[in-house]
Amino acid sequence: MDGQSLIDAMRFVGAGLAMIGAAGAGIGIGLSVQGALGGMARNPDTYGNLLTNMILGIAFSEAIAIYCLVIAFLMLFKVV
Amino acid sequence: MEHKKRRPWRRWVVLVLMIVGFILGGNAFFPAVQPEITVAAEKLILEPIFENFLGLGPFYLVNTLPTLAVTLVLLIVIAFFANRSLKKSQNTDLVPRGIGNVMEAILEMLYNLTEGSAGKYAKMIFPWFATIMIYVLFANLLKLIPGFESIGVLHHAEGEGHAIKSLGGVWSMLTPAKVEEGGYILAPFFRGISVDLNFTASLALISVVMIQVIGFRAQGLGYLSKFFNTRRMFKVPFFGAMDFLVGLLELISELSKILSFAFRLFGNMFAGIVLVAIVAGLLGKFSILPAMIMMFELFVGLIQAFVFGMLTMVFMAQATQGHGGEEHAEH
Amino acid sequence: MEALGINLGLLIVQIIAFIIVYLTLNSWVYKPMLDMMESRKTKIAQGLEDARVASEARANAEKEAAKVLAAAQAEANKVVREATERAASAGKEVKAAADAEATKAREAAMAEAEVERNRILGDLRGQVAALAIAAANKLVGETLDEKKQHVLIDEFFSGIKGGKVVVAESLTGDSAEVTSALPLTTAEQASVKKSVTVKEISFKVDPSILGGLVIKVGDKVLDGSVAGKLEGLRQTLK
Repeated sequence: MDGQSLIDAMRFVGAGLAMIGAAGAGIGIGLSVQGALGGMARNPDTYGNLLTNMILGIAFSEAIAIYCLVIAFLMLFKVV
Repeated sequence: MEHKKRRPWRRWVVLVLMIVGFILGGNAFFPAVQPEITVAAEKLILEPIFENFLGLGPFYLVNTLPTLAVTLVLLIVIAFFANRSLKKSQNTDLVPRGIGNVMEAILEMLYNLTEGSAGKYAKMIFPWFATIMIYVLFANLLKLIPGFESIGVLHHAEGEGHAIKSLGGVWSMLTPAKVEEGGYILAPFFRGISVDLNFTASLALISVVMIQVIGFRAQGLGYLSKFFNTRRMFKVPFFGAMDFLVGLLELISELSKILSFAFRLFGNMFAGIVLVAIVAGLLGKFSILPAMIMMFELFVGLIQAFVFGMLTMVFMAQATQGHGGEEHAEH
Repeated sequence: MEALGINLGLLIVQIIAFIIVYLTLNSWVYKPMLDMMESRKTKIAQGLEDARVASEARANAEKEAAKVLAAAQAEANKVVREATERAASAGKEVKAAADAEATKAREAAMAEAEVERNRILGDLRGQVAALAIAAANKLVGETLDEKKQHVLIDEFFSGIKGGKVVVAESLTGDSAEVTSALPLTTAEQASVKKSVTVKEISFKVDPSILGGLVIKVGDKVLDGSVAGKLEGLRQTLK
């Protein structure tokens, strides 16, 4: 196995490892949806308001996963 | 009075199509091919059509451009008919019919949402919100039409490629067999525009720029104090400095919005096509499953369009509101 | 960036495409739709306002109608009450008149009955008296024998003497007529001549006087007869 092949292999490994960060985003999204749904169940009047804020919170959580995705892409497609 | 029983014949059509797909999917004539997945849009013509486009380098005819044209034409046609319907109803009884009614129902819901979070700036924010949402929705849903990602031109592969089988005329078909030299790869005619970073990045850029523009229009130059917060710098030096640093972080956060907007949509859509392709290639004969994943893609496309528009709207609404600075300024 | 497919030219094309979409939708869909929503909102507000005015007008009309109805009701009540009163008073009047009429009639009838009764009673008394007198006559006639006749005549004279019968002075005239039931004895004629101071006396016998004496001097009559007494009794009985 030459050096180039090793580097290629390590790129895939690195991309895979980078995506571990998505786990945190998943937990975060789950927690925010849990809280929002609990709130909606307790007080259905706040549905619209909670939905907006829930989507906002999901977006912020998801941003972390997206950074992971970006890093994975950078490794996978030899951008830098 | 005999109550006529409704016979839902459509479900039988769906079932027959699924069985036909199952039979055709992995047989000898139409073997499943593991497609080539690239992040970048494939070039339909390998040579650039403009050598130096606006002084920015070569411009290639990539396969998202036909899709873009189709999307634009579709949207303009829909807008035209909606306009006609709305104009007609404006002159009669204010109740639109047909496509105008559909557009009015969707847009009124979106407008009420905007009004709920932005209040008096709703009229300013609403067009951007609705445009982004409708545009992304169309881009996401068009991608699911059969023929996308599967019919195109064959290029000679640089590395290993697929062997081809002639279907008569100019038409050929890829086979699953891989060859080291002289193989071909497929560049589809149509590729969903949301699976193109140019599209998502352009939307993200427009969105973030318009957030700033609306912030300036709503607050004037006071909007800048969100980023360069020198209000308390001289009164309470320590916390003032901290505010200044937080303001700079806001600047970084604005820049990261571009990244997160662009990659959220792109990531979701790209994951969709990767999932479909891998499942189809791996399962071979059991090609009902990709159909299920296409259904999931429909859902994801809807949600992502909503999230993109919603986030734009919420960020714009936040930009119209002051950063808690007015109370301090009044003292 | 080439590997990710980001190309500035394509980016600019996409931005231009978005701007085309934005302008198209904005001018062809959003503006008419917002205009329509606005005009619909004003129309709905107008409709609500109209409905409010109409409902107010209706409430007013209802109030008016209720007022009119109440007035009519009161009027009707008044008319009915007046009619009732009038009827009652008329009835009362009629009744009173009838009562009065009846009373009058009854009184008249009673008076008539009284008169009749009196008449009948009178008749009856007369008859009773007549019967009684007849009976008395009969009794007296049967019981007055000669002896008793003489006793009666004696009593008469003794009465004159004793002053019981005051006739001595008034019985003065030219001639006297003495009637008796039985022919008087000479003693008796003498005592008559003694008590009555007149020139000449004529004696008459009349059994219808039953007993006693009737002395007639001129136009004066001294009735001491049983028949005269019975006549007096009859008069008092009547």
